[in-house]
Amino acid sequence: MKDTLARLEAAGRFVESAALVVLLGSMILLSVAQIVLRQLFDGSLVWADELIKIIVLWLAMVGSIAAARDNRHIRIDLLSHIMPPGMVMLARVTVDMFAAAVCAVIAWQAWRYLQLEIEFGETVLVSKPAWIAHIIVPAAFLIICYRFLVDSALEFRRFLTRAKARSDK
Amino acid sequence: MLFSVILFFLAILGAPLFAVIATSAMLGFSNLETDLMTMALELLSIAQMPFLAAIPLFTFAGYLLSESNAPKRLVRLTNAVLGWMPGGLALVCLSACAFFTAFTGASGVTIIALGAILYPALKQDGYSDSFNLGLVTSSGSLGLLFAPSLPLILYGVVASVQIDDLFLAGVLPGLVMLVMLSGWSIWVNRHNRKPLSDFSWREVGGALREAAWELPLPVVVLGGIYSGFFAVSEAAAITALYVFFVEVVVHREIGVRELPRVIRESMVLVGGILIILGVSLASTNYMIEAEIPQKLLALVAEFVSSQTSFLILLLIFLLILGAILDIFSAIVLVVPLILPIAAGFGVDEVHLGIVFLAAMQLGYLTPPVGLNLFIASYRFNKSIMDVYSATFPFLMILLLSVILITFWPELSLIFVAGH
Repeated sequence: MKDTLARLEAAGRFVESAALVVLLGSMILLSVAQIVLRQLFDGSLVWADELIKIIVLWLAMVGSIAAARDNRHIRIDLLSHIMPPGMVMLARVTVDMFAAAVCAVIAWQAWRYLQLEIEFGETVLVSKPAWIAHIIVPAAFLIICYRFLVDSALEFRRFLTRAKARSDK
Repeated sequence: MLFSVILFFLAILGAPLFAVIATSAMLGFSNLETDLMTMALELLSIAQMPFLAAIPLFTFAGYLLSESNAPKRLVRLTNAVLGWMPGGLALVCLSACAFFTAFTGASGVTIIALGAILYPALKQDGYSDSFNLGLVTSSGSLGLLFAPSLPLILYGVVASVQIDDLFLAGVLPGLVMLVMLSGWSIWVNRHNRKPLSDFSWREVGGALREAAWELPLPVVVLGGIYSGFFAVSEAAAITALYVFFVEVVVHREIGVRELPRVIRESMVLVGGILIILGVSLASTNYMIEAEIPQKLLALVAEFVSSQTSFLILLLIFLLILGAILDIFSAIVLVVPLILPIAAGFGVDEVHLGIVFLAAMQLGYLTPPVGLNLFIASYRFNKSIMDVYSATFPFLMILLLSVILITFWPELSLIFVAGH
């Protein structure tokens, strides 16, 4: 069980990093190709600018998933330097539960919006269905939600272990 | 009201900022009986903003630079050029850090990349420990007014101000900060009469040759933008490709196997910033719908009547803001609110941007959440109180420069066309 979970974590990290490499790489190549085409051949790929903007959205979302895994989301964190360690742990459990709930709501709303887009046949990049470009938003928030749930549970377990260790003493 | 209080507590307990902002936006939407689906629409508008591509591209380039030996080459070069002066190494520290921060986006990597080289060197040269600590810590965010720093780009995106105008506007104010800190460093060390190192053309030549590949970078970025050869986001792409070529292919200081890690680390920062941008777009939209900027303007107008008194109020507000919010969140969250108010008092939006960033720069050094204080404390193994007190004089000098920048708009606007 523990092995499966660890393997899942490793696989998830790998997929995130690979996606970020591919996204960033294609963004650099596309932008440079645009400059070369314009300066040398006076031409351009009409869809490239829009595609670059969609890649920015994907980079933002996948980057956010990675930030959730690496615990690098921006927090104000005013009290953790002055609260006792046990309280800090409980606060962490609470705020991560809160964040998970918020992400669940956003994922759900984004999913509703996606269905509208499918229904109305919205398109991007001339004629491609828009939902393919936009599905990353509900997907990312769902995954981030999962991450915060896991982190919250792990922190709670750490808190219990610590409390037990202290009472044993 | 009750909800706001709960949200505030969650925020200072350490809830992720994007979740807090998203919640306040969604609460606002439900008050206005707007469908919460709007949230999705706002997040998707990340894919509609012009120039946003510049942010991941420059961030990646900055991370690559900081992981290579470019910091060492930069220090050697500045040392060769400035090291012979009294207080020379302090000047080296300030200018190298400013240059480096401009490229790495003031995310704390400067202290880690350059501080590790400069801190021991300063100590060896006989500067007092407290001076070193303060100097390195405050240098870590110097240079965020210089192109192509991320905060400048982000302000341009959020306020829809020409980014190349902002790049020009930041030059003199950034130099003012640099010169004032340099002057103070020389003054403090005026009795430190160690034998000055000689100026040597040979060393300058050697350092130049070593840094030959990185030297064209500022020219590529700024020259490209101002000659109209390419747009800001294209300059970012060229920079990213060029830095990749230099550090990975030419110098081979970063292996291909390490690239995914560097990319991941830089994109984690980008993801953290852009998700806050996305939810802030939603909260801004709610506030505009609820006419909050107008109400704020009316409220402010009751207390202040002149531009000067408005600027004083703004400065106090920004200094407090900087102490609790990081620069990126502050830009996306607060700029849309104060932009119309500042316009109401005739403050130019380019000047406002420079004032905003200059004041937020102090936030890196002010307790309780100053990022640089914590990074320095961690990196140099000093107690946070030591770092506070060592940084304090530098903070005061920077405060002086921010006041100067605020009340002397020409400093920002002199190079900007149409002002």
